[in-house]
Amino acid sequence: MARSVWKGPFVDAYVLKKAEATRESGRNEVIKIWSRRSTILPQFVGLTFGVYNGKKHIPVNVSEDMIGQKFGEYSPTRTYYGHAADKKAKRK
Amino acid sequence: MNQDKIIVGAISGAFGVHGEVRLKSYCADPAAIADYTPLSTESGQVFTSIILTGQVTNALIARVDGISTKEQADALKGQSLFADRSRLPAPEDEEYYHADLIGLSVFDAGGTALGTVKSVQNHGAADLLEVQIPDSSATVFLPFTKAAVPLVDLSSKRIVADPPDGLF
Repeated sequence: MARSVWKGPFVDAYVLKKAEATRESGRNEVIKIWSRRSTILPQFVGLTFGVYNGKKHIPVNVSEDMIGQKFGEYSPTRTYYGHAADKKAKRK
Repeated sequence: MNQDKIIVGAISGAFGVHGEVRLKSYCADPAAIADYTPLSTESGQVFTSIILTGQVTNALIARVDGISTKEQADALKGQSLFADRSRLPAPEDEEYYHADLIGLSVFDAGGTALGTVKSVQNHGAADLLEVQIPDSSATVFLPFTKAAVPLVDLSSKRIVADPPDGLF
């Protein structure tokens, strides 16, 4: 069942605090978080979070189209190595 | 296989009794494997043309030149298929083939070695370079952005990185 709208999006308080502190400091750093359940909010856009996957922190650059998703969706807990073949990576 | 050959697929067995094969494609667009001919196997066999005739679950059906019986197709089961790197189309600006990035050495702005690129991953947010730390089994994910990776020099096989604090 979907979460009730009147409650608003769920975010662990420490994530908000860390994000705010990093934004104010203006430093280029990875914000290490363990809260995979927290919702990505508009004020997180442009920040880089290190989302824990049970083993290490996976860097996640937050962009506008990620708003409303959960952090855990971008930090898989299983490893998969496919073949490189003709796959391409784009430097943004 | 040398560095100029890239694995693009494998033959997973025969399909039917008329010499067609089941082809497993590792390409981003599975059907693109037919565009990269000639394909060669580890044993040195070369296929100059591959015609895709259909698809089944997890495989493409193809007719390969020189293979006309089920016995010949069965003999190829498990063979990996390699294409020449030069057959891949030129990537767009700021685009890089994973095969070109894997194995590059990563240095920081001061020239200190950070490791080598082990793989390129994308978990939905952005492309990430998995960097193998020297003398360790640990790996670190480096965001493949202009800010974190200001220089990619394929000719000298090196990457200059400016990783965010707390990453390495």
